[in-house]
Amino acid sequence: MQDRYKHCYMDIEEVKQRAGPREFGPTDDMPEEYRKAATRMIQFHANSEIMGAYIERPFIRQAPSLDRKLAVSAQVQDEIGHGQLLYRAAENLGIKTREQMLDELANGEGKFLNCFHYPLDDWYELPMIMFFVDGAAMRRQATLKRTSWEPYAHAIDKICFEEGFHIKHGESILAELASGTRRDQERLQEAFDKWWPRILQFFGPTDDQSTHSDFSSAVGLKTMGNDALRTAFLNVYLPKAEKYGLEIPDTPAVTFNEDTQRYEVEEDDLDWDEFMQIARNQYPQGKGQIDKRHRTQEAVEWVRDAIENPGAGSAAAD
Amino acid sequence: MASARLGAPGDLSEREREAVEALLYQLADDEFVVADRYTDWQCQGPTLEADIAIANIAQDELGHARLWYDLLQDFGYEETELIWEREAEEFRHATLCEQSFESGDWADAVVRSYFYDVAEFLQVEALAETSYPRIADRIEKVNGEEHYHREHAQNWLERLCEDAEGTRRVQAAVDDLYPYALTLFEPTAKEDDIVELGIRPTPLAQLREEWYDLTGAFLDGLGVSVPDREALDDLVAEETGRDGSHTDDWQRQYNELTYTYRMLDRTEARRLMADPDEV
Amino acid sequence: MIFEVFRQEQRKDYHVHVGNVHAPDREMARMYAQVMHARRKPAHSLWVVPKEEIAEVDSDDEGVSMGGLTQKEYRWATNYNTDETFAEEIEASQREQEEAERGREEAEAND
Repeated sequence: MQDRYKHCYMDIEEVKQRAGPREFGPTDDMPEEYRKAATRMIQFHANSEIMGAYIERPFIRQAPSLDRKLAVSAQVQDEIGHGQLLYRAAENLGIKTREQMLDELANGEGKFLNCFHYPLDDWYELPMIMFFVDGAAMRRQATLKRTSWEPYAHAIDKICFEEGFHIKHGESILAELASGTRRDQERLQEAFDKWWPRILQFFGPTDDQSTHSDFSSAVGLKTMGNDALRTAFLNVYLPKAEKYGLEIPDTPAVTFNEDTQRYEVEEDDLDWDEFMQIARNQYPQGKGQIDKRHRTQEAVEWVRDAIENPGAGSAAAD
Repeated sequence: MASARLGAPGDLSEREREAVEALLYQLADDEFVVADRYTDWQCQGPTLEADIAIANIAQDELGHARLWYDLLQDFGYEETELIWEREAEEFRHATLCEQSFESGDWADAVVRSYFYDVAEFLQVEALAETSYPRIADRIEKVNGEEHYHREHAQNWLERLCEDAEGTRRVQAAVDDLYPYALTLFEPTAKEDDIVELGIRPTPLAQLREEWYDLTGAFLDGLGVSVPDREALDDLVAEETGRDGSHTDDWQRQYNELTYTYRMLDRTEARRLMADPDEV
Repeated sequence: MIFEVFRQEQRKDYHVHVGNVHAPDREMARMYAQVMHARRKPAHSLWVVPKEEIAEVDSDDEGVSMGGLTQKEYRWATNYNTDETFAEEIEASQREQEEAERGREEAEAND
């Protein structure tokens, strides 16, 4: 767009005052602080889509029926598509290009959701991601339809439209296993026990310990706090777990507070050292996932060279 | 020479049925195994867009496999017997389909899908004249998706070959894959009956000639060379797949493919969509 | 030259194609677009795009299958028989997909 059509520069106070659903877009001259915060948030989301696809990927090949294989392939495909949409929404902020963000992801600088740092062992663990974690993500995403960065909200529109299938397919796998043999049910419970604390950490530390939360909320990027989201998640997914015969582990303790009408999680029961190690991209298994991504990206570097600078060839080939 | 129309699945003679089955296994296994290999590229593509496109192609081919396996179900087989409980050496796909990819070797993906898609296009064209009505019914849908696959492969080949390193990689992939690509045209034990009964009126040997001409001319135009026509017979890979002989890559792929099914101790394969005949 | 015009009615809306203008260049196209496509209907923003810069995929063209012709129900929430009403966002996704499905059916019927 031509400069003369650009809106006037806004300072942070004005941003906070105007902050509302889909309020700001590429034609607004946003202060750098806003653009950086929005980039950090959307890049994190985009990275999470890519790394979420990574941990589901082995189950395309390992799916136990033709139709399930098709569905898992379509889910992984959607997630890469969501990454594409989100990187684009982030690029619009003018801080980083998609190339830069993908490089950061491969280099271990890019951050992403805690749950996607843990590779899945087998099919029993798949619904932990496809139902519970994707369900949690969907809860959060739905609140982002009202985010203040309009291109982000547009990406979210399409993501939410597509994502319903993921959770329903995840539940269908969960239901099939839960109604299987006793051994199926036991293995499913083991998977749940292993994943439940990680799922509770999905929404991050409680609001008063979260670092970037205040600013993001003040400028309308974030529309709901960690605690409220976790409560909203537990309200519907806890009964689901019970419906499928899963026993909720005693620790971490989850209690419903009648006064505040909120689920409260005993924060001390969760392993925040591990969570912080993950947040720094230093958790060994998560590092393994990042390294995989790094190798993949490097291995196809020559293709991008060939299509972007044809004729030059690549001296570093092989 | 037009052959007599064959009857419904239950009315076939033993000879007819064996020929139909042999052709369907060949078609279904090719699609299933090559599609499963394409999914190796999910999360590994050179760009996000390329990743999404090859995933779609994999899903199309799996959809075709689903249609062909479904026609085998007419003869009373279940999906479990057709895929999940079948022994690795009973699969009849060409060994082109099962070759594992070297990490990052997008030239292999592109060349393989080009070789495969041109062959599939010719096969499907030949099947337009099939004497077996159940196959005839499904040809249009399969063919409708193949155009995109060929165009996708050709577009990529053209772009890679605008670059010196890209051309070198494409040539290397052509050289490596050629012996396996030729196995697409290796006959099953029932080839003579398949042709005589008009189930696929054109013999594979003739399809190979057409394939050689089409792919050779296109690749030549990109500065990529292919083997001489006279050399083809000697070049065919030792393991053709059509007779049940496979490379080690297949055993590894098969073990992974069937891993969950075996681990869950399954006796049925969960269907999520309506039967193709009901849509 | 022909320019295609996309109108955004109000802030936060998506831009929707509304027509085109003939103009000698980009500047004039922007002038004409305003009076031709925004003088009655409200417009917060217009995108004015040279027609020749628009790549089209036409479903009537040979070989175009728009993502596939064989069964793709596995891509749709509507294909799975678990209950979607337990969470409003899943239900919303399902409803949008149902609407899209009706749209596809209508398009097929009109074909």
